[in-house]
Order: sequence, then structure tokens, then C-alpha cells
Amino acid sequence: MGTLELDGVTKVFPDGDGEIVAVDGVDIEMRDGEFLVVVGPSGCGKSTTLRMVAGLETISSGEIRLAGQRINDVKPQHRDIAMVFQSYALYPHMTVEGNMAFGLEESTDLSDGEIETRVADAAETMGIAELLDRKPADLSGGQRQRVALGRAIVRDPEVFLMDEPLSNLDAKLRSEMRTELQRLQDELDVTTMYVTHDQTEAMTMGDRIAILNAGELQQVATPLECYHEPANRFVAGFIGDPSMNFFPVERDGETLVGDVFDYSLSASTLDDVGDVTDLTLGIRPEDIALAGDSTGDHTFSTVVEVVEPMGDENTVYLRFADAPEGETFIATVGGLQQVSAGDEITVEIPEETVHLFDGTSGEAVHNREIDE
Amino acid sequence: MSNDARTDGGTVTEADPGASAGLLAGIDGYRVLLYLGLLGMLTFFLIPIESGLVTSFKNPSGVSGSLPFAPPTGGTFTFEKWRAAFDALGRGLINSALYAIPATVISALLGSFAAYGITQSDWKQKYKAPVLALFVAGIFIPYQAVLVPLSQFWSMVPLQEWLGFLWALGINNDYAGVVELVVTHVAYGLPICTVLFRSYYKNMSEEMIEAARLDGASIRRIYRRIVLPLSGPMFAVVLIYQFTQIWNDLLFTLVLVQTESSAAAPIVLILAGLGTSLEGQDFALRMAGAFIAALPTLAVYIAFGEEFAEGVAT
Repeated sequence: MGTLELDGVTKVFPDGDGEIVAVDGVDIEMRDGEFLVVVGPSGCGKSTTLRMVAGLETISSGEIRLAGQRINDVKPQHRDIAMVFQSYALYPHMTVEGNMAFGLEESTDLSDGEIETRVADAAETMGIAELLDRKPADLSGGQRQRVALGRAIVRDPEVFLMDEPLSNLDAKLRSEMRTELQRLQDELDVTTMYVTHDQTEAMTMGDRIAILNAGELQQVATPLECYHEPANRFVAGFIGDPSMNFFPVERDGETLVGDVFDYSLSASTLDDVGDVTDLTLGIRPEDIALAGDSTGDHTFSTVVEVVEPMGDENTVYLRFADAPEGETFIATVGGLQQVSAGDEITVEIPEETVHLFDGTSGEAVHNREIDE
Repeated sequence: MSNDARTDGGTVTEADPGASAGLLAGIDGYRVLLYLGLLGMLTFFLIPIESGLVTSFKNPSGVSGSLPFAPPTGGTFTFEKWRAAFDALGRGLINSALYAIPATVISALLGSFAAYGITQSDWKQKYKAPVLALFVAGIFIPYQAVLVPLSQFWSMVPLQEWLGFLWALGINNDYAGVVELVVTHVAYGLPICTVLFRSYYKNMSEEMIEAARLDGASIRRIYRRIVLPLSGPMFAVVLIYQFTQIWNDLLFTLVLVQTESSAAAPIVLILAGLGTSLEGQDFALRMAGAFIAALPTLAVYIAFGEEFAEGVAT
């Protein structure tokens, strides 16, 4: 079956006299039928990883196994893998039907009749049955996208690889296709590796997310785990929009001392911290609460610098009362809350929602509590 | 504001005075000079062709009695020279086609193969680069530099023996020269064909080729089913260019076929001596011959014109 394992996969590109490590010892294990989203900033090696699975790049070291079989040296045409490209990569001189039939004609011994039936079925699934006689140049962007997907599903491969397939669509179509892709993957139950730089796609689509940075795997976990229990500061900052606020702090006994604020910790949190003194405090914007007065333990008086109303909520740029202008952090508050620039408001940073990271290594030492 | 809107969107009658004033304003001294200059250049470049054409329809008294570019009058008009030229050049047309067409097609095809290999294949760059360098170097070897080695090479190749079966069929053994011309022109045209195709294939979508590889197609099948069908415009460019080069080339035919009396004499060899005799030059006959010799290249341009424009644009 379509279990896909990446074991210490590394890619080194020669660069003049030196070399560039694009992918550094990535270990991922995907179970059959899983939808894994590989996400990371541009240049993090996510596309290279995908291309190594496809066989379009050689593997410098490590091993890729499909259904337990090592496929490092298997040519791409023999891997039984279908890929959807960002540019769709349709064959411009063939009709939609020709595009979809091409893979079956080249990789199977099916008769013309069988191929025609399977193409018709796949076209039906993708809702492009009436486009079969057209050429790619006569299709809209969304239709081309469907043809590219249809070309992949018609082959019924062990693994789907998708390289930012939605990034050329407009926002509305993209969110539609996102849902449709999920439905499709659910229906076909084919192991899928999906590369994107868009953390929204990662959060909404994947069974699990693999986060890459600078060629190194940061975390592989379900979207909510990545969100609430990030393995390190990079994951915490990358997942979530607006992203988590970070404050550098020093631990002094039971208190975290920041540039402009102090934050006292409870005993259980202190246990997690251990003997690390150089820390980063992280707090998600939606966990910052407006407090009526400044009597609580973890309340701070702040000044509102900018308010961005989104309708359902307001994104508020706050500054600690003692902090210099421009040093803001972000809080999201309900859309009906009346907040305007220049207001002095008191906010609470509840201890149960606070993340703490090692200041040097960035590793998470304490994650927020989650109500079971 | 409302005035502006009316000028823009007004009816024809309303806009008329302004429009004609604008037209007059556009024609200034610079424009007049520019168009006069262009017209002068057009005349300059077309006069020789026009003169050749009208001369080819004149009888001897017309040629000597009128200006070269003056059209023939009723008394001096004749088709005789075209008929004579065609009689003289007919066999040359066929002989030329016998090597120009195969050499053009083969060099274009081989150039396309080679370019595909050095662009889209997954061979290592360090192997591709020297091959490409050799092809590029090949472009810069002048014809004159290879004439002596070329004739020596063909004198060493026992082509006459190899083609013995053809002579046994009753074909004149002068036609060995045609085979030599095909091979020579293919070898000589291959570098430029390869470099032209290479630039075209470099611009071809890499992801599309990768998609085809993942679809299970081998490197040969990708060429057959994806690259070749998409090469039409570049084939038009290369076919036109190569055909014109090979058809018009005199140097290689002089070395390899040598005489117009040969049964395999190409049109360019016959044309070189056409209308020249001890009595002087028959200009009308030479002009008619020149036009007949040029017709096939013109036909190729017309046949592939549309793809040619597309190929040159890319």
C-alpha cells in the first residue's frame, strides 16, 4: 500500500567550490491514505523534498521507501507517482482528453476503450466532462487546474504529489478548490504529499503538517498540535495568522524580566522551565484579553497604536505603556469591542496560554495548557 | 469637464473639425521627409528585382534598345527566354531538389535530436557543455576553409563502389555527387540547426517535460509525443533557412559535382554558365534563369511563412 517513508533524506547542491544543503536529514513517515502538508517559507527545501520523492532530483543521502521498497534509484516513470505542478504543466498541443490519457497510454497496457472510460470517469469526478475536446489554451485558470488534477487522479497512483497547486488561482477559487481537494483526497484515499508556503492551506487541509525551515524538519504533527504545542519558536511563529507575539525575557527566580514588563510564573510552569534563564515568552494574539482593571497578576497597561477592523474581529497593535513608540505586539479582540488608536487599555496575558521557548535554541520548554 | 466629455464621446459631425485639424497637425516636415526617405529606399532595393523581371521578358532588341528598368513594349515582349531558361535548367531543378530536400530535412531532424539531448535530457551538465561548445564552434568554420579537406575526404571514401547497385539500375554514376552533397550539407548545417533548436527547447516548460516523465514516458517517447509536435515553428525557421542555404550554395557543388555537363549538375552550376557565350551575355536569358532558380526558395517561404513568423518571434 501507499505508505511513504523518508529516512534521513538529504539533498546537497554543489555551489561553486562549496555546497548548499537544501534538505538536511528529513525523516517523515506517511501512512497509507494520509494527507500530509509540507509547509515552510520559500527556500526551505520543501519543493526539493517533493521533487526527490518524485524522482526529479537525485537523493544525496538517506532513503525514500514506498510501500517498504527503496525507490532511490527507481526512475520517475516507474515510481507510480502522479504530480500536480504549480504551473499545471499541461501539454498545450493535446486536448484535455489527450492530456489525461497520456499517462495511461505511456505507463499502462490498457486498451484504448478502457483508457477512454477511465478518462471519462476522472473527468466526471473533476466536473470537466464537457471540456474533454478543448485545448489547454482555451481553458480558464480554474479549469486548467482541474485538468491538472484530473490528469493525476486518472492514473490511480500510489502517491499524489502536489507542488503549490492552488497558488495561481484567485482567492475565492482557491478556497473552493481547497475544500474540493480535501473531499477528493478523502474519497480516493490516496497518500498525498502537498507542498505549500501558505499556512492557511496547511492548517485547513492536512491530516498532518510537516514544517520545514532551512532544509531541516521542525515538526510533524496534526494542525492543532502544531498550533497549540509547537516544538519550537519557528513553528510557533510560522503557524497562525496574525502570528504569535514573542518577547525576550530573563528568568529571575519566579519572575520573567522583560525589557518593559515583569511576568511572574507559577510553580508548575517553573518546573517546565528548569534551569534555563534566557527565554522567549510567546503569546497568541487571540489569547490576549482585555481586562477591566489592572489589579490582576498578569495585567498590563498598554496604549493602542493601530486598529485594523476585520469585521468579525479587530486586530489591535498594542504597546506597553513604558515601551518606546513602534514596539508593538498584536492582539485580536471581538469585532464589536470599541477600541481606537490612542486609547489606554489594560490587557491580561493569562499564564495558561503562555508559551516559553529557550532563548538560544528556540526549543519549546513550556506550551500552553489545553482544556481536555 | 462636460466639454471634454463631449469631444471624447461626441458624434462624428461634432468631432470632425477637431479631427481634421489634428490630422493636418500630424503631418509636419519631419514626417514628410521620413516617408520620402522610406520611399527612396524601397525604390532602391526593388529596382534590381524589377529590372531583372522586365528584362527577362524582352527580346534582344528590347534589351539593347531600352533602359534596364523600362518594361517591354508590345514589339519587344517575349516569353521565349523563360522557355529557353526552363529547358536549360529543368534537369538542374530536379538534381538540386534531389539533394536540397533530403539534406534540409535530415539536418533539421538531427539538429532537433541533438538540441533535445543537450537541453531536456537529464545528462550531467558537464557532459552537455563540451558537446554544445563543439556545435557552436562548428558554426564558425567558413566554407572556404573546408574545401580542400572536403574534396580529399570524398576522394578517400569509396562511394562509387558502395553505390554500385544504383549504377547497375542504370542510374548515371555522376549521381554519387548528389549523395556527397547531401552528407556534406547535413554535416555543415547541423551546428546551426542544433543551436537554433536549443534556444527553442530551453524555453520549453521544464515542468511539462517533468510531468511527462512522471506520466511514465521514456526520453524517446517524450520527444515523439511532446517535444516534436511542439517544435513546428522552429522547424519552419530551420527548414526555410537550411533550404535556402543549400539550394543557393555554389561552392560545394563546384567542388563535388564540378561541371555543368555532369548528369547530376545542380541548378546553380547550370545557371552560372547560362546565357554566356563568345558573342556576349544574353541578359534576358540570365534573368529568366535567375528567377526560375529562385522560385523554389520563394515557395518554401510561402509554405512555412506563418510558422516562420511564430518561430522567429520566440
